[in-house]
Amino acid sequence: MVLFFLAQIPRAEIDADVTHYIPEKMTSRVNTERMEDLFGGNDMLILALETEDVLDPQTLRRIKDLSRGVKKIEGVSKTMSLFDLKSIKGVNGDMIVDPAVRKIPVSDSDKEYLRQELKNNKLVFKTVVSEDFTLTALIMIMDKGVDDNKLLHEINELLITYPGNERIYLGGYPYLKAIVSKEFTKNLRILLPGGLLIMLIMLYLFFRQKRGVFLPFSVVMMAIIFSMGILPLLGWKMSVITLILPIILIAVANDYGIHMIAKYQELVHSKDQQTDGKALARKVYENLRLPVIMTGMTTLVGILSLLSHKMIPAKQLGVLAAAGIFFALILSLFLIPALLSFLNKKAPVVHGDPSKLRWLEIQLRRFSKMVVSHPRRILVVSIIIVGLFGAGLGFLKVDTNVENFFPKSHDIRVGAKLINDKLGGSQTINVLVEGDIKDPALLKRVDRYQEALEQHKGVGDAMAITDVLLEMSKALNNIDDPGYNVIPDSRNAVAQYFELYAMSGDPEDFEQLVDFDYQHAQIMVRLKDGSNTNIKDVISFVRSMTAGDPNITIIGGYGYVTSELADVVVNGQMLSLLFAVLAIIILVMVLFRSITTGLISAMPLVSAIILLFGLMGILGIRLDLVTALLSSMMIGIGIDYTIHFLWRFIKERERTGDPREAIVLTLQTTGRGILFNALSVIIGFSILVLSSFPPIRFFGILIVISISVCLVGALMVVPSILLVFKPSIVTGKRTILKVPQWVINFGPKWAHYFKILKTKPELFKQSH
Amino acid sequence: MGMIILFSISTMPGHSQEARAIILKSIEAGKFDGIETISKLNIIDQKGRVRTREIYMASKTFEDDVEKRLIIFMAPADIKGTGMLIYDHENKQDDMWMYLPALRKTRRIISSEKSKNFMGSEFTNADMAAANIDDFKYELLGDETVQGTDCWKIKSNSISDDITDEYGFFSQFLYIGKDDFTLRRSIYFDRENDTLKTLENNNIEQVDPGSKKYMARHMIMQNHQNGRKSEIIMEKITLNDQLDSDMFTTGFLERQ
Repeated sequence: MVLFFLAQIPRAEIDADVTHYIPEKMTSRVNTERMEDLFGGNDMLILALETEDVLDPQTLRRIKDLSRGVKKIEGVSKTMSLFDLKSIKGVNGDMIVDPAVRKIPVSDSDKEYLRQELKNNKLVFKTVVSEDFTLTALIMIMDKGVDDNKLLHEINELLITYPGNERIYLGGYPYLKAIVSKEFTKNLRILLPGGLLIMLIMLYLFFRQKRGVFLPFSVVMMAIIFSMGILPLLGWKMSVITLILPIILIAVANDYGIHMIAKYQELVHSKDQQTDGKALARKVYENLRLPVIMTGMTTLVGILSLLSHKMIPAKQLGVLAAAGIFFALILSLFLIPALLSFLNKKAPVVHGDPSKLRWLEIQLRRFSKMVVSHPRRILVVSIIIVGLFGAGLGFLKVDTNVENFFPKSHDIRVGAKLINDKLGGSQTINVLVEGDIKDPALLKRVDRYQEALEQHKGVGDAMAITDVLLEMSKALNNIDDPGYNVIPDSRNAVAQYFELYAMSGDPEDFEQLVDFDYQHAQIMVRLKDGSNTNIKDVISFVRSMTAGDPNITIIGGYGYVTSELADVVVNGQMLSLLFAVLAIIILVMVLFRSITTGLISAMPLVSAIILLFGLMGILGIRLDLVTALLSSMMIGIGIDYTIHFLWRFIKERERTGDPREAIVLTLQTTGRGILFNALSVIIGFSILVLSSFPPIRFFGILIVISISVCLVGALMVVPSILLVFKPSIVTGKRTILKVPQWVINFGPKWAHYFKILKTKPELFKQSH
Repeated sequence: MGMIILFSISTMPGHSQEARAIILKSIEAGKFDGIETISKLNIIDQKGRVRTREIYMASKTFEDDVEKRLIIFMAPADIKGTGMLIYDHENKQDDMWMYLPALRKTRRIISSEKSKNFMGSEFTNADMAAANIDDFKYELLGDETVQGTDCWKIKSNSISDDITDEYGFFSQFLYIGKDDFTLRRSIYFDRENDTLKTLENNNIEQVDPGSKKYMARHMIMQNHQNGRKSEIIMEKITLNDQLDSDMFTTGFLERQ
C-alpha cells in the first residue's frame, strides 16, 4: 500500500499559478479567464536589458536577435519591443508606418535622431524604453497554459546564443511562476531530508534505542508518502502551501509514536519483569489506545478547520495533512505495537551522568513552586504582555504579492523594481470594454479613462486601442487640424482608421487590445507597485470612474486576482480560526464534561493568537498565503498541552484534595511530558527556517513562537487561572469529573516513567 | 522540352537558370495589360470567425513595367468607398496611397515592409504583386503533381536579410503548372526554416485565350504559425486593356 502511494508521488505537478488558488467562481478568476478567452493570454513575460545607453548598436542588435528568437518559442503569442512596436508618423502629408526602430543607427547623429523619435512615440516611450534610455524591455504575451519552466529554459538558451554585456532582468507573472516552482523543488530537497535528520537525532536523544528511533520514524515516512501520494491521485497539484505538508507531518505525526515508545520503555522497567515482548506490546496498545486517539482528534479538528478556508490549496492542505495524521495515528496504534511484539524486550541505553537527567526535574520543581506562589502576578504579567502585543494587531497587513515570496535582494525583486519604476510596471489589471468598439462615443470615454488612469498614482502605463487611433490621427492630420490627436467623430471614420492600420500594420498588432469582431476591447493597466493596497486603490479608482458606464463592468487580470486573494486570505483566516477555536473548545468540553474546563483551555489559545498576530504586526511580517495557515494549525497542536495538564491536575487534586499540591505534582510529572511533546513539534518546524521563501521562514519562526506560547499558557497561565478563580474543578464542589479511567491513567504512566528514571537510573542501562 | 528538363534535372539537379526561366514565364502568364475584378476577401481567425470585405480592383500595366492598381472597398458599409492606389515598380519601392472617405483625405503610406498584411488578411502586399525576380535565387527541385496538374517544384531563397525582412519570409517552395505556367501552390518558410504559410490557388481559369493568361478564382492562404486563414474568391474577372489612365491617380480616388 505504501509502495502504491510512493509510486504516485512523481506524478504530482507543481502549480505556482495563484489564479488557481482561489475558487473557480470568484469574480476575479471568472473575469480573468473570460478575458483570456477573448484576447488570448494576458500574462506578460518581460525581459529587460539594462546598460548605459540602449541605443548603442550592439545592444540594439541583441534586442533584435532576441526579439526574433523569442517569437519562435512555443507559447509566445506576441512580442513587443523596439523592433516590433510601430512608429506611425505623418511627414509632409505622407503617413509613414515603420517599426519603432527601423535601422540600427551607426553614427552618433543617427542615434540622437532616433532617440528624439522614440521620445515622441507614445507606443514605445516609457513602455519598452525607459525615460533615461538605460533600460529596454522585450515584452512577450503568453498563450494560456504555457509550461513556464520550459519557456524560461528556452529564453536562457537564447540569451546564451546572443550574448552581450547588458544586465538582464526577467519579470512578469510567468517568470514569477517558473521561479516559484523551481525554488519550490529546491526547498523540498533541503527541507525534507533536513527535517527527517533532525527528527532522527531528536528521537535518539529522547529514547536512546533503535526501536525508539525507527518505529516513529517509519510511521512519519509512511504518513508523508501516503499524503503526498494522495495528492496526485486526487488530481491536485503542489502549491507553495503544500510545501509545508511534509514538515507538518514530521513535526506532528511522530507524537503518537513517541507516546507509544515512551510507554513501552516505561513498561520495560515496570515490576512485571517476566512479560515477553508480545505481552508488552499488547499492554502498550491497551493503555494508550484512547489517549492517542484523543490528542489525535484535537489535532485533526484543528487542521480540518482549514476546510472552511476559501483558498483552494489551504483546503487541500487541510485534507492532506489530516489524512497523513490520521494514517500516522492508525499506524502508531496498530503497526508499532505489532512490530514491538516481534522484538525482544530490551531497555534503552543511557550514557553519561545520571545526575544530569535530574537537572530538568529540579528545574521543574522550582518552576512549579514559583507558579503556585505567584498566580496573580503571573496572570497580571500575562495580561499585560498579551495586551501589549494585542496593540500590534492594528499594524497587521495583508500581502499576497507573490513577488514578496522572495527576499529583497533576489533578482526577481530587483528586476520587478526596475520594471515598475522605469517601464510601466510588471503587474497588470485589465478593464473589459464591451459593445460596439467602433462607436466614437465609447472610444472617447475609453480614451478619457485611459488618460485618467495614466495620471493616477500607482499606475505605470495604460494601453488601449485608442492609443493606436490617436497615433493614426496624428499621422493623418496636421497639427493644427481639429482631427489631430483626437478620436474621430464618426463611426465610419473609426472603421476606416482601423482599415488603414490594417493596410500598414500587422493584424495581430492589436489582437491584445480588441477582439476580432470589434465587440470587446480592453484597457491593460500596468501597475507601478504590486502591493495589495495599490491594486485595491487602482481597482476602486476604475470602479468609481466607470460607474454608470454600461459598457464597462468587468475588471480582471492577475493584479485583481491577487487582491481578491488577499481578501480570501483574511476572511479564510478569521473563519478557520473561529472554527478551530470553537470546535476545539467544544471538544474539550465534551471530553471533560465541563463547560468551565473548555473555557479555561481556550485561554492559552486565544493568548497565542493575539500574541502571534500582534507580533506579526509589530515586526511587519505580513499575513500572506503561507502565514495565513498558521493559526488554525497552531491551535490544533497547541491545545494538547492544556489537555495533558488538566487531565493530570484533576487526577492529582482528587487524590490530594489540595489544588496547590496538585499543580506542583502535575507540573513535575506531566509537565515533563508536555515539554517533550512541545519540543518535538518546535524542533520539527524549526527546519523551515532554512527555506529560501521568506514567508515559509516566517511560518517556521512564528509557529515555534506560538507553540511556545501555548506551552507557557498550559504550564503557567492555566494553573494560575485555576488558583485565582477557583473554578468548580478546583473547589470540587461539583462532581463534574466522570473522566474515564484511561484518561486518568494517562498522566501517571508518564510520571511513573520519569520517577523510575529519577530513582533507578541503573534500570536504563542496556541489559545484555 | 519536357525531356530536356527531365534530363537536366537528372544530371544537374537544381539548375538555377532553368528555374529562373520558369519563374519569368510564370510572372508573364499572370500579367495583364488591363484587368478589373470584383472579389470577396474572407479573413478567418483561429476560432473560425469570419470578417468579409468586398473589393473592386482595377489593374493596368504602364510603361517601364509599372503596374498600377486601384482598389476600392464596396462592403461592409462603414468602410465603403475607402480606396487604395498602388504603383508597383519593377525596381524600386512601391508607392501606395489611401483615401478615407470619412476624412475626405488621401494619404500616401510609406512602409518599409512589403510583408505587411493585405487588409489585415494573411495575404501580404507582396503576395498581391509579382516579386522582384532578382530578390530571390531559384533552384529547380523536380516535378510533382498538384491538384492533378503536372508542376515544377522550384525553391526560392531570399538573397539577403533585408529582403527576408521586406517580404516576411525566407524561402518558398513554388509549384508551377508545366502547361500554363501558373502558380498552383506555394509554401512559405521563415528564417528558421519552419513552415510559415501555405497558399493554394484553386479553380485556375484561362481568362484570355489569345495570350494564354491564367488566373485563380479561389486563393486560400493558411498561416501555420498563428492559425489564421484568408481566402479570396474572384466573383467577376474582366479583361480590359482600355482602362482609363486617369483611374490610377489620387484625384480619381477622391472623386469617385
